[in-house]
This record gives sequence, structure tokens and C-alpha cells, in this order.
Amino acid sequence: MAARAQVASLYGDFVRTWSNVLFAVSLFVVWGVLTIIGVVVDQNRDPSVYFSTYATPVARLILRLGLDNVYHSAAYVGIIGLILSSLAVCTFKRVIPARLPPLRAVKIDHLPLHASVDTALDPATAQARVDDFFSKRGWRVRKRELGGVEWTFADKHDWARRGVLIAHLGFVIIAAGTTIYWALGFSGETAVLTGQTVSIPRTATTLTLHDFQYRIQPIATKAGIVYQPIDYVSHVTVVGRDGRAHDATIRVNHPINVDGTLFYQAAYGFGVRFAVTHYGKPLTDLSGQTLKEGDVLTLPDTTRQVQYSQFAGTIDRQTGMAAADPRTNDPGVVLNVFDGGQPIGTTLAPIGKSVDLGGGFSIVPQRYIMYSGLQYRFDPGIPLVGIGALVLLAGLCISFYFLPARLHVRVDRAGEHSTVGLAATTVKGYDIFEAQFADLIGALPRSLEAAQ
Amino acid sequence: MNHAMPLDQVLMVIALSTYVIGSLVLVMYFFSREEWQRNLGAPLVIAGCVAQFAQLVARYELTGVWPLLNLYGSLSFFSAMSVLIFILFAFRYRLWFAGGFVVAIAALFLAYGLTWNEGTLPAVPSLQSYWAKIHVPIVVSSYAAFTVAAVLSALYLLKYYFDRSFQARLEPAAALATPTSITTSSQMTIQSAVQIRVRRDTPAIEAAAESGNIVARWLSTLPALAQIDVLIYRVVAVGLPLLTVGIITGAWWAKEAWGAYWQWDPKETAALALWIFYAIYMHLHTRNAWRGVRSAWLGVWGLPLMLFVYLGVNIVIGNGSQHSYKL
Repeated sequence: MAARAQVASLYGDFVRTWSNVLFAVSLFVVWGVLTIIGVVVDQNRDPSVYFSTYATPVARLILRLGLDNVYHSAAYVGIIGLILSSLAVCTFKRVIPARLPPLRAVKIDHLPLHASVDTALDPATAQARVDDFFSKRGWRVRKRELGGVEWTFADKHDWARRGVLIAHLGFVIIAAGTTIYWALGFSGETAVLTGQTVSIPRTATTLTLHDFQYRIQPIATKAGIVYQPIDYVSHVTVVGRDGRAHDATIRVNHPINVDGTLFYQAAYGFGVRFAVTHYGKPLTDLSGQTLKEGDVLTLPDTTRQVQYSQFAGTIDRQTGMAAADPRTNDPGVVLNVFDGGQPIGTTLAPIGKSVDLGGGFSIVPQRYIMYSGLQYRFDPGIPLVGIGALVLLAGLCISFYFLPARLHVRVDRAGEHSTVGLAATTVKGYDIFEAQFADLIGALPRSLEAAQ
Repeated sequence: MNHAMPLDQVLMVIALSTYVIGSLVLVMYFFSREEWQRNLGAPLVIAGCVAQFAQLVARYELTGVWPLLNLYGSLSFFSAMSVLIFILFAFRYRLWFAGGFVVAIAALFLAYGLTWNEGTLPAVPSLQSYWAKIHVPIVVSSYAAFTVAAVLSALYLLKYYFDRSFQARLEPAAALATPTSITTSSQMTIQSAVQIRVRRDTPAIEAAAESGNIVARWLSTLPALAQIDVLIYRVVAVGLPLLTVGIITGAWWAKEAWGAYWQWDPKETAALALWIFYAIYMHLHTRNAWRGVRSAWLGVWGLPLMLFVYLGVNIVIGNGSQHSYKL
């Protein structure tokens, strides 16, 4: 028996805490701080980046606390989970019960927003005219006899009491949509060389890139020439579940849909074919590949590696450095050479020019070919997320722009006359209704007198 | 050789000039409450706002590029919306006394925006979307609303802390005077009398004003603290739904451009942090203990956070953000 009481008490404490606005706000604060940390601290970088950016103790702290990947940390997911659970408990414990507060007698003088109107009318007539006054102004009037006193309750925007409930519901729908993606969705990236056909994992789709085109326009600005990208476009043939080939064009902001999976233009680059020789003898194993930026060749029987780091569209022949113009006027590649994992040199090699790598090895960037970086994503949760966002917005607008208010009215005989006592309550306190209440009370006597 | 200034720059000069003069006149009105100053300052500010929107339209017409795609155009729109939101509230709630500060901030950001005018660049591929005409103005408008809320919050705190200061100087008996009083309306007639309980939430200022203190007399012309608190709430209630719509439209645009509606990009997560901040404000404002001075402090702190989200992420952090407007 005692154990049951203890459990009940514990449950009561849990519900009280979880439904408390300040608890929700505390969770919001933690959520906000973690989010800002993720904004300030560069995410998902190599540890060396943090050590080069911050003082060593700070970098260590970032890595130890997982702040380099804060949005996918247990703390971040956990805080969102806590917010959703708090929101659910608060909805059932506070929001739903508060939707339709019971009609009950109040001590009018004890409410901060109250007024009294003296009238020469008898109580019954005054009561009828007060009811009529509020009905004509769109208030929903209800009468109850409570403790032997006839009360009039006038409500406005009663329906708007559901605003917070709707906003909370929006959050739950968004969470459901996101969960559906986690459970059933997938996404990925693929880089397709011109002329290459790739199969997209987890789909029955194959995609062939016929051509990738980009347009970059040099524009004179106050700061000098700016090479402004204007268009990126991939011309592809896709084969979907039906086995039929379709020609399609993928542009930024214009994805294509293949069997529910969307394909987006995400990036582009230059694949380069290198000819590698050892004392003038071609190494065919290494020379047959087309490398993309970041790819590495390991020289046989050595600890030496060559990385194709970057493509330079235009080399300034005077300085031998890469020029600002990204168009392929006089292209070259940046090569990094490593020995035993340690960088030993970097060079900018024009296309067609040989570079001596030492040990008898030479490398020639022979020709380049464009590739298109495509993202794909299957997200069956998107409609729900969209609906949830709209429901959330509707809930916010209802909560902010409609003020549910209740007037408690009683008419008392005062000698030959009557006194109409009124008090107002709203879901947002009293100050916000003060001006409207004053207007109402200002108009009420005129209405009472006009009827006489 | 034609040295004529382009129409958009002429309009920009008009806007900036009228803002500077209008804000000075309205600051004078803030201190003196001379009606002529309001009657002069308000039309100047309205004219500046009209000129600024006309400038944005003219720039669009002249260049064919949506003007809000760079910081110059965005800051120009931000200052125009700050002034417009203020004007709407000023007409509805008689807020002209605060106009000088809002318009001064708007003029400051407009002038700062001019330093980012690098000429006209066509939009990069990711910005070539109809969403640019929906998402950007909505988000920038929400920032403008939060700016107006911050100015009102600062005025709240000014009056609140002066009241506390006067209270400390008053005799204990006077300081403990009831904060509310009964007044009888002027509509009393033989047949009906009205009694409304009204709030006097700065009794020390009222007392000091009655005893002839000039600062207190001036402060007593400001609306009651409770009224300012409600005004701040109403402005935030404009900004937060705008920010919500902005985040939603941004997510929709991101889905079209980058394949995912949420990419944890620094700009979008910073906007989320701002949303969380004002959601906290709204939640706390449901509690009596948090309305008033605590809410006003939140309103003031919202400004630096908003500026960090709006400018800091782009200018200071910037690295790796999809909002750096590269593919």
C-alpha cells in the first residue's frame, strides 16, 4: 500500500515537473545553447582543424565533449526527446484541461481587471440588457445560477483556446515525419563522370551522364573581376523501376523524381587521367584510372603517394600560379606528394606537362573530363513534415492573434438601483485586455441608458 | 558625359536623409512631447520608408536581379521593414515617442548596407528560385520585428529602473504606496456610474513627477510599464510567426535546391536558435512572474542574438555555410 502511494507520489511529481512551463523553458535553453555551439564550432571537421583553430585545451574540450558533431550527439537528440515528452505531458496535463475552463463564481473585486456599473434599472432588466449588450458584440453568453446568484459568463474567441494544443500537435507531426525518414528513408551522393553509368544504391535506378555544362560569367565589380557562376546542368538518361530509359535534365533548384527518389544537382568537378612512368616505362595499372579531386595514387614498391588535390581552370603563365578565373582556359592540377603519410611537396602541374616525383617516377596529367556530383534522397516523411509545419504555424497564429477572454458578470440590487459587477480573465493575463475591457465598460452604461 | 545619379541611388539618398532628420526630430519629440515635432517627424519617416521601398523596386527594374540576394539589398530591406513595422504599430498604438530610436537603428543599418554595395551580380544557380522572393523577405521582416521589440524593451527597462531609483529615494511610506488605485470615469451620469480599477505600475515616478522632478515628469508621459510589456509581446507575436514561416519556406527551398529540408547549415541552425529564443520568450510570457522586467531583458538580448544570426553567421563565421551562396 505504501509502495503504491510512493509510486503515485512519484508519478505526480513527474507529471508536475514535466508539465511545468519552466521545465520546458529550461530544456529550450539547453537546446538553444547546443544549437548555437553547433553554429559557432565548425562541425564534422578533422580533429587537426580544431587544434589549428582553437587553443589546445579548447580543441580538446570540443573533441572530448563531442561538440564537433553536436547535432548528432546523444545530448542533442536526448534534449529534443525530452522536449517532445515534456510537450506531450504538458498537452495532456495542462493544455487540454485548460481548453474549456468550468463556469464558476469568482470574487469580482479580487480579480485585477474588474469594474462596476451603477444603473437605475431593476436587476432582472439590467441582467437582460447586459446579456444583450455582450451578445450583440459577438460574445458567447451563458447563464448559470451558482450559490443562489445568477451569473452571466461571456466568452470571446473560446475556440482559440485550442491554439497551443494545435501548435504542440504541429511539433508532434513534424517529429513523426522526421521519424519516418529515419526509419524508411535514405540519401546519398554520387559523382558521375561524363559518359559513365552508375547504379544508385537502395533503388532500381541507373543513371548515365551524357554531358555536364556550367556557365561562369566574368563581371566587373568595385572589388575587381568576379567570376559568377550562372548555371550548372547535367544531361542524363535514367532507367527506373519500369526498365524504360528517360532523358532528363538536372539543374540546381530543379531536381528530378525517379520512383519517389529525388536527384539534385549538388556539385561538379574535373576527373583527370594521369600517365605514370618509372624510368620512362609506363605503369599501366596506375595510368588507366580517372581520378577525382582528393583521390590518391600509391607508387609501386614505395611508401610514396600522389594525391590529385585540386583542379585549376586557368594557370597564370607569368606567375605559374592558379588564376582566379575558374574556366578551363589553361588548366592544370595541384598535386600533393606524401611519403609515409607525411607531406613532402605540392606542385601545380599544367595539363600535358610531366612532373618528376623522385625515385625515377614521373607523372603527367594527360586529360580532364567533367563529372557531376548528384545527391539523391528518398524521404517518405516529407508530406508529414510539411503538414506539421503548417499546423504549427496555424497554432502559433491562433495563440498569438486571438485572445480568449471571459467576462464574469453578476447584477446585485443596491437599494432602488442595481450594480453590475464585471471581471475579466484571459489566457494571457490581464494587461493585454485592459484597453479592450475599458472600452467595453465605457460602452456598457450608454447601452443600459439607451434602452431605458 | 552623363554624371546623373541612377534613380535607385537618388531614392537611397532621399531615404537616408529623411531617416536621419526624422529620427532626430522624433528623438526630440521623445524628450519634449511637442506635438509639432511628431507632426514633422512622422511624415519624414514615412517618406523615407516609401523612398526605400521605391529604391528596391527601382533597383530590381534597373538590374533585373532580385535585390535582396546580397547584403546590400538585404540590409536595405531590413531597415525599410523595421521602419514599416514601427509605423504600423505607431499608428495603431500611438508609439511615435519610440520612433527616433527605431529609425536611427534603421538608418544605421542602411548606411552600413551601403558599404556592401559591390555592384550588380546575377544570382548564382542556387539563388535562381522563386523561393528567393518569398523566403528572404519573410525572414528579414522577422528580424525587423525583433529590432522594434528590442527598442521597446529598452524603453521599458529605462522606465522600470528609473522607477526603482526614485523608489529608493522616496520615504518608506511613500514607496510602499499601493500600486493600484480606483478612478472614476468621466462618463458618470445620474443614472449610471462606472468604476474601473486601473493600474499605476510606477508609483515612485508618479510621486516624483508630482513633486516636480523633471525626469520623472518626462518618464510619466511614457505608457504604463504593463502597456509597454504588452506592446513588446505584440511585436514579438509578429516576428515569431514570420520567422517560423521563414524557416519553413527556407526548408522547402533547401529541399528543392540541396535535396534535404534540413542540413544543419550554420545559417539555418542559427535561425533555429533565434526561434528557440523567442519561443522561450513566449513561453515565459505566459507566467505572471516573467512578464515585465524579465521579459523586457529577453527582448533586449534578442537584438544581439538576431544580429549574430543575421550578420554574424554570414560575415564572421561564413565558412561552410550553404548561405555563402555558392553551389
